[in-house]
Amino acid sequence: MMHSLSVWLHGTSLSWAARGGLPWLWPLCETLHFVGMAMLIGIIGLFDLRMLGFVKGLPLRPLQRLLPWGVAGFVINLVTGGVFYAGDPLQYLENNVFWLKMGFIALAGVNVLLFYATGLGRRVDEVGAGGDVPVAARAVAIASLVLWFGVMYWGRMLPFLGGAF
Amino acid sequence: MMDVLRAIEASGVSVWVRESGSIWSYPTIIFFHSAGLAIIVGLSTAIDLRVLGVARGLPVAPMDRLFPIMWVGFWVNAISGLFLTMADAPAMLTSRLFLFKIAMIGLALITMTSLRRALRLPLAHGEGMPLAARAMAMASLLLWTAAIAAGRLTAYFGPGAEVKGIQ
Repeated sequence: MMHSLSVWLHGTSLSWAARGGLPWLWPLCETLHFVGMAMLIGIIGLFDLRMLGFVKGLPLRPLQRLLPWGVAGFVINLVTGGVFYAGDPLQYLENNVFWLKMGFIALAGVNVLLFYATGLGRRVDEVGAGGDVPVAARAVAIASLVLWFGVMYWGRMLPFLGGAF
Repeated sequence: MMDVLRAIEASGVSVWVRESGSIWSYPTIIFFHSAGLAIIVGLSTAIDLRVLGVARGLPVAPMDRLFPIMWVGFWVNAISGLFLTMADAPAMLTSRLFLFKIAMIGLALITMTSLRRALRLPLAHGEGMPLAARAMAMASLLLWTAAIAAGRLTAYFGPGAEVKGIQ
């Protein structure tokens, strides 16, 4: 199913544009992909650092107000990543490093779901300046940092271990 | 001058980074360069957004503790960037795109340190950040974006396009 989707995608004009039909599109999306990465990792990472006890002076409830900007970074990267995929679907489809990256993103997503589904998100919300979060929330924070830097690692390794450009 | 740059490019370290084919050379160095970027630019972005009025309920003074972490990101990138530049010294150090990137980083660091000073000033409860601090925050966002764009374009159109690392 992924394969037929990829073959179809390869025939679209978006794919043509990303492959070099519009020479500026790929570098533009690369730039945005790095901006999105900084937003995602910077803001989610700040939240994680706070839960781990750094910058304890920051109360958690208002800090959650920054999170939509981290999500915006993720959306930017989903869209620009989609352009990369469309440009040459098969080089990613048959690439283990690409699937490792996708796997790490999926695990990071599960981590977020667990955080909110178990009610940790609400409990953390009550933690004011100087307060400590539950141990489970610290575990979520460590998992989040490891997984997102892992996503970045596999992304960076695509050209070297996966043979993608 | 060009002789010096060529000598740097021909040095053992440069050849190792560029041609060894080791996973620990170019690929690992470029990963660290991305990680450092995410740390300094990401945390700067969070601070900039707060100064510009996002998450107003968040006190700014404790954010002072983030700056040492941001400087770690900076030094990770200064060191990894030094290796990457050495590997392609003559082309990099004569590339306008690369010099533009360095200039953007320099200006962004100035906005970063002046914002740190602004965060230390006492603020009345509920009062917005001073206009000068907001201008610095906006400049910081633009300068980091320009630095990232120049860095990425160096890889595609600039001298970096010649350095492939391992395949």
